[in-house]
Amino acid sequence: MNANRRKQINPVHLSSLVRWLLVALFIGAGGLFFVYIKNQQFALAEEIRQVERRIATVRSQNETLLARVTEFSSRRMLQQRIAEGFISMKPIQDNVIARLTPPVQASEDGVLRTAFNEGIRQ
Amino acid sequence: MRWTARTRTGLACAAVALVFTAYSVRLVELQVAKHQEYAQLAAEKHTMRQVIHARRGLIFDRNGELLAANVPVRTVVADGSHVKDPAALAKVAAPYLDMKEEELRAKLTSGRKYIVIRHELAEDKALALWKALQDAKQRGLYFEPDAVRTYPNGQMLGHVLGFLDHEGNGIQGVELTMEKSLRGRDGYRYIEHDRTGREIMLYRGQEEPAGHGLNVRLTIDMGLQAILEEELDSAFRDLRPEMAVGILVDPNTGEILAMANRPCFDPNRPGDARPEQMKNRAIVDMVEPGSVFKIVVSSGALNEGTVNEKTSIYCENGAFAYGGRILRDHHGYGAMGVHDILVKSSNIGSAKMALMMGDTKFHEYVRRFGFGERTGIKLPGEIPGLVHPPHRWDKLTITRMPMGQSVAVTPLQMAMGMSVIANGGRLLAPQIIRSVEDSDGSVVLNEPPKVVREVVAPKAANFVSEALSGVVGDGGTAQLAKVAGFTVAGKTGTAQKVSPAGGYAQGKYVVSFVGYLPQENPRFVCLVMLDDAKVASNLNYGGLVAAPVFSRIGERAARYLDLVPCLRAEPAAPLALRGQKEERTN
Repeated sequence: MNANRRKQINPVHLSSLVRWLLVALFIGAGGLFFVYIKNQQFALAEEIRQVERRIATVRSQNETLLARVTEFSSRRMLQQRIAEGFISMKPIQDNVIARLTPPVQASEDGVLRTAFNEGIRQ
Repeated sequence: MRWTARTRTGLACAAVALVFTAYSVRLVELQVAKHQEYAQLAAEKHTMRQVIHARRGLIFDRNGELLAANVPVRTVVADGSHVKDPAALAKVAAPYLDMKEEELRAKLTSGRKYIVIRHELAEDKALALWKALQDAKQRGLYFEPDAVRTYPNGQMLGHVLGFLDHEGNGIQGVELTMEKSLRGRDGYRYIEHDRTGREIMLYRGQEEPAGHGLNVRLTIDMGLQAILEEELDSAFRDLRPEMAVGILVDPNTGEILAMANRPCFDPNRPGDARPEQMKNRAIVDMVEPGSVFKIVVSSGALNEGTVNEKTSIYCENGAFAYGGRILRDHHGYGAMGVHDILVKSSNIGSAKMALMMGDTKFHEYVRRFGFGERTGIKLPGEIPGLVHPPHRWDKLTITRMPMGQSVAVTPLQMAMGMSVIANGGRLLAPQIIRSVEDSDGSVVLNEPPKVVREVVAPKAANFVSEALSGVVGDGGTAQLAKVAGFTVAGKTGTAQKVSPAGGYAQGKYVVSFVGYLPQENPRFVCLVMLDDAKVASNLNYGGLVAAPVFSRIGERAARYLDLVPCLRAEPAAPLALRGQKEERTN
């Protein structure tokens, strides 16, 4: 083979090929990583959205229940229930009261008291 | 030209360069020159300003009992451009929305971007509908958060609390006067959504959180309010007056402890109420106060030194000719002191005290007691009443006004006027708002008691107070106002009802009793007023109609407040002994 023909042979420069392949791989991997991160962000954002929705739902349910509890425990409802006979109020019987000091009766000093503990409180 | 390889290559390159230049020019035009325009278009299509609704503040009584709350609901809206199959969507959604399928389908097929389908859908129903839509793979319906105001106690305290209009603005009561604090400030966030209408969280933009409304704590004590309302209800049922008003005030601070009117309404359903049911008559109605007004002339005359504790005034044996007319007392009395004039409620004695004071001085005391001016209570629609200046008085006014005629006052002014006597002579501004608090309970605004003015010296006030306890004692006009175990002070009022046609309505009376207890250290002032109670004319007096209502309220309120009785008990004789005693007396 003469020298001219030998010159036309294009040798493969492995080092530069590897370099360019690495650059391409790096760019490709960067692109894929970007897409992966972006997808991750979307997925996380979607999760946040779902969690936000759940929190909002739970908060609303909580407020609804609180309003219902307030309604059921309201003075109007309690009075209605007493009137209907569902609940009733009975005076506490003397035999179930544990006293630290004996009560002062109105007959002893002639003073009416609305509660037996007034003497102690004073 | 020779089409050499070089020429052809050059032309091809030039053509490609031209094409790319054209693309580049277009790209620059789109990205730079028309950036603003297209960004705006994109934003309009995908970006929206989402409102974050502020939660309205709650209303509590002084002990923390909840009086006004919010129930979360949803407003169901549809985006016509997202609805693929209106018929299928209507079939799924109609049962949850309590709508007819055809009606819903008609709404959905309009194709508009924002169609309000249903207001105030309960939260649990909205959740169930959302799940049903997910299962049926239907889209196009969206749920916007909203809330409705609810008043757990119904009619109780309705006039004070007020209510909201359909846009959530307070239009009566505390809801109106405290609107600024209760309302809060809506927030917002800019969001982008995809073509299905779902928010793209990643592109969530600027956000301003909502500033929730502040909570308002009233001076009202619901325990006392319940007592007042029950007794007022009972009186309204038994005596069938046109209206009834009850007020409980702490005379030492001016705090309104309870306020009730009949007829009343349920603020949960304001649409069902007639206008006259919605009037808070304690502040928007004016009446002639009747004899309650005698406390003004007596304390004024004592304070000015016009009379003293020992001054004796001749009461003309029940008929006093003045200004061409005869002023009469219920019974004929001779000479009486100020104490007895109040106890016996002598019109002539009161008129003579006013004459001794002179019209200017008497008018000055009427104004110093707060009559003729708004009390400034934080409730809407308060009127000042009507007190004419002396230059507009006729000859008889000076004798009529001391007994509560020729003057018009609101029930609240009467209660605050009596508080002047109860607290030793100071006029306090009535308070309905105790504090304003944020959501974690920190006090943002506190309302301390406010003394408007010193009306009379404590000595004069105490003397009148002593006399007013005689009104409830034996020989007084309000013996039925007694409360077992306590010294009660108070004054009855019986005024002829003013006719809208002019003059007085025959046989119609506005009767009232304003009193307080314990007289030595008053804990509350209570006003009871009944307009045109359906009782016989000869029984329609404040002492016979309003005083017993006061007595029942006073007794229950004293028990509720755990007041220590100050009077010695009057031991009741055992039944067996009582029977023997009765036999002997017979």
